[in-house]
Amino acid sequence: MSITEILAVILLMPLASAVLIAVFLRKYGKAAAALSTVVGFAIMGLSLYAILTWDGVTLHPSWEWLRFGGYAYSMGFYFNSQTALMLLVVSFVAAWIQFFSIGYMNDDDGQGRFFGGLSIFMFSILGIVLADNLVMLFVFWELVGFSSYMLIAHYFTTDFANMASKKAFIVNRIGDFGFLLGIAWCWQHYGTVDLAQLGAIAAKNPGLITGSAAVGIGLLLMCGFVGKSAQFPLQVWLTDAMAGPTPVSALIHAATMVAAGIYFMARVFFLLPPYTQHWMMWSGAAMTAFAGLCALGQTDIKKSLAYSTLSHLGYMATALGLGYPGLALFHMAMHACFKATLFLGSGSVIHACHHEQDIYKMGGLFKKMPVTGLTFAMASLSIAAVPFFSGSYSKDTIISAAFMKGMNEGSVYYGVYALVLFGALCTALYMGRLFFVVFLGKPRSEHAEHAHESNAFMTAPLVVLGFLSLTAGWVVYGWNWAGGKMDWVMPAVTVQPFMAAFTEVTESVEKAGVGHVLDIVSVVLALAGMIFTYFFYGKAGEKDPVAARMPGVFHVLERHGWFDDVYDWYVAKVQERVCDVLAIFDRIFIKFVCVRGSGGAAGLAGALLRRTQVGNIHAYVYWFLAGVLLYWAFATGKI
Amino acid sequence: MHPGLQAYLTVAVILFAIGFGGVLVRRNTLVIYMCLELMLSAATLALTAFSRYNNMMDGVLFVFFIITVAAAEVAVGLAIIVALYRRRGSVVVDDLNHLKD
Repeated sequence: MSITEILAVILLMPLASAVLIAVFLRKYGKAAAALSTVVGFAIMGLSLYAILTWDGVTLHPSWEWLRFGGYAYSMGFYFNSQTALMLLVVSFVAAWIQFFSIGYMNDDDGQGRFFGGLSIFMFSILGIVLADNLVMLFVFWELVGFSSYMLIAHYFTTDFANMASKKAFIVNRIGDFGFLLGIAWCWQHYGTVDLAQLGAIAAKNPGLITGSAAVGIGLLLMCGFVGKSAQFPLQVWLTDAMAGPTPVSALIHAATMVAAGIYFMARVFFLLPPYTQHWMMWSGAAMTAFAGLCALGQTDIKKSLAYSTLSHLGYMATALGLGYPGLALFHMAMHACFKATLFLGSGSVIHACHHEQDIYKMGGLFKKMPVTGLTFAMASLSIAAVPFFSGSYSKDTIISAAFMKGMNEGSVYYGVYALVLFGALCTALYMGRLFFVVFLGKPRSEHAEHAHESNAFMTAPLVVLGFLSLTAGWVVYGWNWAGGKMDWVMPAVTVQPFMAAFTEVTESVEKAGVGHVLDIVSVVLALAGMIFTYFFYGKAGEKDPVAARMPGVFHVLERHGWFDDVYDWYVAKVQERVCDVLAIFDRIFIKFVCVRGSGGAAGLAGALLRRTQVGNIHAYVYWFLAGVLLYWAFATGKI
Repeated sequence: MHPGLQAYLTVAVILFAIGFGGVLVRRNTLVIYMCLELMLSAATLALTAFSRYNNMMDGVLFVFFIITVAAAEVAVGLAIIVALYRRRGSVVVDDLNHLKD
């Protein structure tokens, strides 16, 4: 089979699985789980096979899909090293998370629905990964939004899950509206939406990418990314999306879907003029610091991790804004490993504590759940960028890149450096807080008292992903094996997209002679943060120490700066009023004139005409005579 | 002396007027029906006269059709009247005004 055929199989397999589950296996949860997971691992295997046999030449098969007049819409694959990296990350993480789900969803009644949803999600995200043009990408982009909506609302009997799923969908729609406009404008301005052709246009005529139309297109395309990757100002949906089952949070709202926005931006990076990049850099850096702080104000373990995801999406956006899409993808890959571990670890803990999510009702779980505890610790160290853990390679490089920007292009960019550095400190603080409160100390509730280690379905993915949280970053050392096909744990081609950027930043830091300083600052911040949390949170009772000492500050963090309240106010007070004004038009013109008016006129005509129907045959003959006379008068020109 | 076209047409008009008047004033459905036939005869008479006057067979051809249609119509119409009488016990049009409601 050629690679194109393998890619088509990879894309269509989860769709087939979803259809099978929807049609035949809705009542048979266990069979659905098995099918979906087997398909997940098959995708992983086929992806690895495709990536390893790929010769490095960009593939771009394309088929015509629809034709309207002069406009032809095509569907196809655009397979380059970025695609290979994203395909590897998505298929690998998804397979293990589906495996985990078998254990986590064991006692759930809606397993068929859940695994069917995971399959349709896999289909959608793989479509985004492989898409060769913006229209196809948009189609799968919306499918991803739908599957996210469906999986957040898994516990649809609770109000909160329903509201959260609607919120996620609607907020995403706002971003996607801009995205759609961007696609249309892009087609009008550049004459194509094909990624390869757009790349060629941008390469041939760089001047085209600087005009005001290009800025507009860049900003509008960025809207899609802002919605899907939960960037300012549309970040509010992501934390509520934690209402879904924990594996969904791990797969969709941490490792893959929200990272798809980053991947999309990296894929069309040549279309983003400097102005767009600046916006991404500053908003990303601000989000890094702000969400990091907010994570300290959450007592729900998953919400705290969700803010951590926001913060790290901020890092990726910053990397994009700094002009290093490769670094953003690097961090995306590393983040997928450690954040999936963290979410699955929290899932394991939640499962063991009978669906208790409040960290101040947990405690002392390390001895009871050693595998979960150990992998959670590794992922925590990784996300806090402790040296030699995967997170440090990507995150510290982004921080260094921000510093170099400040050094080379003006001291105002040191602001970005300060923000991301502060974000790094926050990471150490909130991860330390989570770990020490959940795993150390004394159990704070009955459930935590009787918790025990999860079964192998849940610990195996934790071990695999936890191991990668520790080691995946070592790919930068270039340990080739299997005849140069593999680079440490990743196929060599998947390392390509970020290796150049990584080397460039490390070398420029070395050349400037600040490498050691930056490393030491990062390490000291990470370690100091963790040690501080050990003393500050380690002995905490059933109340957060910050909430106990500074309730005002804690409240601000808990409400994450009142974004939701502002939006609520806007919707209730501004939007509703505008709707009321528009409703006047609706009531007077549509309802009164059009609907009532036409109905009334017809009714009146009917009432009058009914008077002529007397039921007497002679009356009809007279009517007939009148008709004939009228016709005669008309025909002879009398009237 | 042969009567001219004028005379035939006058007779046709008179026949038609009698028929139409009958339809207007008579109450019995059966008589109304006969009056309708009278109007049809007026039309056939006029057509035959025109046909002869113009030395063409078209009008005569029409007459054959009219006779055929009239025969069929009578068959159906009389059947309806019989059925009406069986159901309502009357063929007077003043009693047959149920379509009004």
